[in-house]
Amino acid sequence: KNSAKKVLAAGAVVCVESEIRGEVTIGARTVVHPKARIIAEAGPIVIGEGNLIEEQALIINSYPENIAPDSEGVEPKTMTIGINNVFEVGCMSQAMKIGDNNVIESKADLGRNMILTSGCIIGACCQVNTCEVIPENTVIFGSGCQRRVQTERPQPQTLQLDFLMKILPNYHHMKKTVKTTSAVTPAKN
Amino acid sequence: MASLLQPDRVLYLVHGEKKIRSPLSTLYFCRYCSELRSLECVSHEVDSHYCPSCLENMPSAEAKLKKNRKRICNQLNENFRCANCFDCPCCMHTLSTRATNIPAPLPDDPSKTTMKKAYYLACGFCRWTSRDVGMADKSVASGGWQEPDNPHTQRINKLIEYYQQLAQREKLERDRKKLARRRPYMPLAFSQHTIHVVEKYGLGTRLQRQRPGAPITSLAGLSLKEGEDQKEINIEPAQALDEVEPLPEDCYTRPINLPEVTSLRQRLLQPDFQPAGASQLHPKHKHLLIKRSLRCRKCEHNLSKPEFNPTSIKFKIQLVAVSYIPEVRIMSIPNLRFQKECQVLLTLTNPVENITHVTLVGCEEGDPEDINSTAKVMVPTKELVLAGKDAAADYDELAEPQDFQDDPDVVAFRKSNKIGFFIKVVPQREEDGDVTVSFKIRHDFRNLAAPIRPSEEGDAPTEAIWLTHHVELSLGPIIA
Repeated sequence: KNSAKKVLAAGAVVCVESEIRGEVTIGARTVVHPKARIIAEAGPIVIGEGNLIEEQALIINSYPENIAPDSEGVEPKTMTIGINNVFEVGCMSQAMKIGDNNVIESKADLGRNMILTSGCIIGACCQVNTCEVIPENTVIFGSGCQRRVQTERPQPQTLQLDFLMKILPNYHHMKKTVKTTSAVTPAKN
Repeated sequence: MASLLQPDRVLYLVHGEKKIRSPLSTLYFCRYCSELRSLECVSHEVDSHYCPSCLENMPSAEAKLKKNRKRICNQLNENFRCANCFDCPCCMHTLSTRATNIPAPLPDDPSKTTMKKAYYLACGFCRWTSRDVGMADKSVASGGWQEPDNPHTQRINKLIEYYQQLAQREKLERDRKKLARRRPYMPLAFSQHTIHVVEKYGLGTRLQRQRPGAPITSLAGLSLKEGEDQKEINIEPAQALDEVEPLPEDCYTRPINLPEVTSLRQRLLQPDFQPAGASQLHPKHKHLLIKRSLRCRKCEHNLSKPEFNPTSIKFKIQLVAVSYIPEVRIMSIPNLRFQKECQVLLTLTNPVENITHVTLVGCEEGDPEDINSTAKVMVPTKELVLAGKDAAADYDELAEPQDFQDDPDVVAFRKSNKIGFFIKVVPQREEDGDVTVSFKIRHDFRNLAAPIRPSEEGDAPTEAIWLTHHVELSLGPIIA
């Protein structure tokens, strides 16, 4: 069924080589690199503004393990991702709710039952698959997934986003975004 | 089949104080004694100190000088630690200096503000910053960071001086006793004990290392030093207190703030403070690493001496076993069956430039070195000839083919300085472990280090001596 609508807000820079399947909404000033994959299988995905989704990142709203895809009575759950998040190269995120200003480093693996608040940093190669809400400003790092709380949240990557929004269209084709309709209709004379 | 090339499949036996079996790549070859040496039968010496992150060299002499200029407890803190680099107290990664722009009032005109650079330390791995512990940003990029002072420095200083004096006196007495006994027999010999003994309380860096056969200058040196330190250092004994600080009232009821509690490792890496709270974890200077040189214990020649420059990985002296001893490697193993004869293909590589003759001999019954083998092995009886290693052979395509008459039953193939040969293995034990075989390899070795005898000029400049090594191979499990 191709009735799934993809809504790419104006100002979002989404490369054509990225794979977006299902009902996905992407906010303004979000950059999606080529070869990134956003797959809304079991429900829609809503991505906020100012996010940076790098190559080979996988954001997937998948069915829980014990439910077959075609079974009846399964409510589609929406995956929400806030603003100013960074999904680094090769990470995989299945978390249903991600807040703002989080950084998911390369090759990190987030399970389905996690909820990230804001300012969290999931370190490189950390696989976190617990059923919990990660408190604000938590850093998960190391091979043993140690945790600590940092005093300040990571800065939003505005510089990088601006740079990419200028440079990426020079080398890649972009997916079409929704045109902003003007609020004032021209008066008929 | 990369697993066949794993280094621990083929072990060579080293005759030392302990019989050690280890792969050839980890062994050294003393060409003066003509014997294999392992890491356990050589003496390790510190060559130089360097910082692993800024690669700054600090030769041992300078480290000693730094030590003598400052107080002893600071020496223990600053000695062997880099001045520029810091370790993250949380994850022990190297800290990097980051800069931010902060508005600061101009010195001339307080009402206007300019952007000044402020530097702070940050860890890229766990995201710890120096602001987490309350350290203010510094205006200089390096050199502004101080480690906090230990309140007990004075006491520790005194204790160390006292014990160093004590250890020195003990050593003097011990040496005097030894020399008094030896005087009638060997006036100049020093015991191995004095050379290789581990000095108590770190005295070893102050006194020179003794060498056998050296004149008795050390004792003279000792007596002079004793004259300097003649002042007796007395310490007050530690005083026991009757009252101990009581625990806080809410010790049992206060909920634990887990992110604030330091782990044991974080705590013990700062032994002077051992903070229980993460907000007192200050960064420490980075520990220096050493470059070490190895020395044969019997003939006291250097086996391995690295370059002085920390950025260089080469060696000034590198007497490793793989460049002198032919190396046996397993090439392919068929299915091993209990009590059935299987043919295993091995390769022999010749590391030297002249032709080497190798003979393989099976281990006899009751060989004391043959403790691990679980199979009978039939090695080729004929002598194998290995061509010399020709560095230009790879590039020279028109090289003449080597003219060795090879028995095709024994030699499978021949390629420049390497041959493949067959051995027959009959596993004797039907058990779960690996099939292990052992044999002895006997080869000729031309000692280029030995001095040329001037009297006999007609002779070949180097004579070959025959060396025998005991080799053990681990061939993998029996497949039923």
